[in-house]
Amino acid sequence: MANRGQWELQLAEPADTADVTKYKEQIDWTLRLIYTTTAVQKRNVAASGPEKYTEAFIKNQIEEFNLGKRHLANMMGEDPETFTQEDIDKAIAYLFPSGLFEKRARPIMKHPTEIFPKQRAIQWGEDHRPFHFLFYTGKQSLYSLMHEMYGKLLDIQKYQDHLRAQGLLAENRKQINLIGSRWLIKEELEEMLVEKLSDHDYLMCIQLLERLVTLPCCGIEEEYVLKFRKELAIQLKKVMIEPLQYDEQGVAFSTGEGKRKTSRATAVVYDNGSGKITVNRVDYLCYFPVMQDREQLMFPFQFLDRLGIHDMVCTVSGGGRSSQAGAIRLASARALCSFITENEVEFMRQAGLLTADPRIRERKKPGQEGARRKFTWKKR
Amino acid sequence: MAAPMAGRLAALGRRLAPPARAWLPGLTQVRWSRYGPSYLEPEVNKEVYRKPLEGLSEEEKTQRELKTLQPIKATASNVTSSVFSDPTISKFTNMMMKGGNKVLARSIVTQTLEAIKRKQIEKYHQASEEERESIECNPYVIFHQALKNCQPIIGLCNIQKGGKTYQVPSPLKDNRKRFLAMKWLITECREHKHHRTFMHEKLSQELLQAFNNEGPVIKRKHDMHKMAEANRAYAHYRWW
Repeated sequence: MANRGQWELQLAEPADTADVTKYKEQIDWTLRLIYTTTAVQKRNVAASGPEKYTEAFIKNQIEEFNLGKRHLANMMGEDPETFTQEDIDKAIAYLFPSGLFEKRARPIMKHPTEIFPKQRAIQWGEDHRPFHFLFYTGKQSLYSLMHEMYGKLLDIQKYQDHLRAQGLLAENRKQINLIGSRWLIKEELEEMLVEKLSDHDYLMCIQLLERLVTLPCCGIEEEYVLKFRKELAIQLKKVMIEPLQYDEQGVAFSTGEGKRKTSRATAVVYDNGSGKITVNRVDYLCYFPVMQDREQLMFPFQFLDRLGIHDMVCTVSGGGRSSQAGAIRLASARALCSFITENEVEFMRQAGLLTADPRIRERKKPGQEGARRKFTWKKR
Repeated sequence: MAAPMAGRLAALGRRLAPPARAWLPGLTQVRWSRYGPSYLEPEVNKEVYRKPLEGLSEEEKTQRELKTLQPIKATASNVTSSVFSDPTISKFTNMMMKGGNKVLARSIVTQTLEAIKRKQIEKYHQASEEERESIECNPYVIFHQALKNCQPIIGLCNIQKGGKTYQVPSPLKDNRKRFLAMKWLITECREHKHHRTFMHEKLSQELLQAFNNEGPVIKRKHDMHKMAEANRAYAHYRWW
């Protein structure tokens, strides 16, 4: 116990003041506290854990935020009723300009639910007894969820036995359609339960759900299982298809941009052509003497069987010969999207022509000779 | 129908799920990729896309539906959809390559195929009518058949037991067989070649010999099989 207060020695009152000399050797001293610092009274700060926000506090913050939003709208001369979060961000950036590089360090004004992390309310009552029966496991939401899921599994099995007894199992098979969705990832499940999970816990949950899904009559618990599934977006929607443009002679053309490692390329694909390709004002046969690069240029056209139909003019800069060829391939594939049907665009995507190759040169690490090569190992 | 579909979906879920083994301090993940775990391999073959929708089975239909939802990796630079690109030839070219000189490796391989073709055509013209049918002139067919003939069926692996290391016969995976065949061919040509002979000439000789099940590479394969047969007694040392 740190002794940071001021203590003074005080003489205890002798029993008989007249005989001080007699009691000279029997003087006893007591310590008396006259002054303390706050450091002594405060407990160990680090051990108390993250700050707990009460519901009243959060409610207060939300009210303040809403009021502040209206004040801000008035200040900027906008209508307080239709002041969106984007307008707030723009207003704050205007009123408090910051030159800091770290975007998260700049001044922000967001709804308190986004700023204060979601925490659970106090889990015990006034008599200090916890509400939930699994509180003392430490992970009450996780175990109660697994308990609930297993209960559903047993219900489905009971229903199946019931049908089997009546002989109606073969006709009443109801499966859940899981195509187009994926299981929630660990972070999303943590958010749902407001509790930290380990990898093992998450795997246990997913394995139990998969087991549930394999049962023939799991359709009765469909909406429960779908709570743990997230919809996957159709990938084709993410591909941008530009409309065709027409030049002075009435020839249709389309532009596309592509990159690979450090190369950047732009390609203009013209209709009614004869398969002529010009790269940086030079014929492709002279610019790419290697066969492999020319094959890569031809790849999108050959895949769509449009080899002799289109003309191409492209510019490319940066990188080496292989990465320039890859960049032009991506640019021409993107330009060709305007000339073909949606099904063909999907086929091109599945052939890997419309994905920008994300592979880059791996950096050299300190303590090693290269990205992976280590220095020669010496025994001593 | 339900069980295999569920199994496939389980496989998808397992692929999307984190690894079963939690992070161990001694083992850092070195095999990472710029692509996320949900990216699928691209399918370049045009015939797959030309199939009509009605001619597909249930499984293939579900496969197609799943593919529309997953992102796809970009195709590599040595792969095209043309009839001339062959994955075995690409693998062989990469193994021949030294110091990143793909141009030289590819030129050697094309010259090898040309040399094989020339030799076979000469043989064809010099042969009689009955023999002409049995002579194979397609260099790609000869290449594939020669590599297939060079692949060992059984391999040896080192197992330490009681202080001594034993050569134990064990089955080989397909990839390993292909790799060993190509490796033996290339090392044979590099080591036992006169310094005045070109690599493509020596390679074409070896490939034609392997196609006819003769030559040093086939001999090496047979040596491997004999060793495995001789060490049959130690086969029970293998526990997988």
